Amino acid sequence: MNGKAAVPKSAAPEPRAPQAAESIPDVDPHKAFGSKSAPVTMEVFSDFQCPACKTLFITTNRQLMDNYVSTGKVYLIHRDFPLPMHAHSRVAARYARAAAQVGKGEAVEQVLFQNQEKWEQNGDVDGTVASVLSAAEMAKVRALVKGGTLDAAIDKDYALGQMYRVNQTPTTVFHSKGQTYPYSGVMSYDILKQFLDQLLSQK
Amino acid sequence: MMQSSPFNLRRAIIWIGRLVLAGIFIYAGYAKLTLGMHPRPPLGVALTYFQLQVASYEILPTTAVYYVAHTLPFAEIALGVFLLVGWQLRVWATLVSLVMIAFFIAVVRSYALGMQINCGCFATPEPLTIKTVFRDGALVALALLMTIFAFMEARKPHPWSAPEKAQSRAR
Repeated sequence: MNGKAAVPKSAAPEPRAPQAAESIPDVDPHKAFGSKSAPVTMEVFSDFQCPACKTLFITTNRQLMDNYVSTGKVYLIHRDFPLPMHAHSRVAARYARAAAQVGKGEAVEQVLFQNQEKWEQNGDVDGTVASVLSAAEMAKVRALVKGGTLDAAIDKDYALGQMYRVNQTPTTVFHSKGQTYPYSGVMSYDILKQFLDQLLSQK
Repeated sequence: MMQSSPFNLRRAIIWIGRLVLAGIFIYAGYAKLTLGMHPRPPLGVALTYFQLQVASYEILPTTAVYYVAHTLPFAEIALGVFLLVGWQLRVWATLVSLVMIAFFIAVVRSYALGMQINCGCFATPEPLTIKTVFRDGALVALALLMTIFAFMEARKPHPWSAPEKAQSRAR
């Protein structure tokens, strides 16, 4: 089994019309990377407890950030899509979102994915996150998590995913030249690169 | 005098197979090239998007994924057209059956492994489910029947092209 995770089928509404990067709603600036005016926008709907999401993150994220996001070609938005069947994925999403607000989003995403098997067994998301943050940062993160304000943002991402008819994670929605290309599943960096290069070569 | 072709279940199945499979192949190829979008995306974008879907089956190496993704949509359209035209029917029917069997194996394997991927059949985000398995299975059965019957019918003298032989054989 490749570990991709699916949501129960729901009566999802029709997907929205293609949109420009600037008009994509509910973008948490702490969970978005690169330039808003980049020619391609990628929204990645992901669940921290989903093995395929881990594979996608570990195999593509670094290269994507270095070669496309940092160079202004791609605007990358991480969307939370915690699946109800995963006991700890919403907790992990809260911690990741809180860490993003204190400027440690990438480090926390990385440690959560890299230690996925451990914390999904023992439920120790807090301890996993604490291993890459300073005591002061961790205190801020815990305060944000306990504050209970993060769920609203997570729910907005989830609702947006349902509008795109996301039925499994990871699902990546590409936006380019006013058109929308949804793709579900893992992709290797080489294959992703070829698709991005084609999108970028559009006149 | 030319007589009308008598109703024959085999010929009926050949015709149904030709029409159904040709329609599906042409539509599937066209959908992969347009992604069902208006305006149609550039060809390179459509083909590399389809490449993502071919890769998601995790069967072929990257180079093979590239060649399959860049040729399959055109091959599907060509096979559909040849099947519809009917010239050298046995050749095209055999090829369509082989392609359908390959699709079916890929779909069954992915389903059995619990891979929650998109089918990629019509380039839309259609999850691969048990329905896909049954649909492809039915199409494989139709393609095989069409092919077998096409070979069987080709051995018989046709009442239009060789009426005397057909009549004597019927007696």
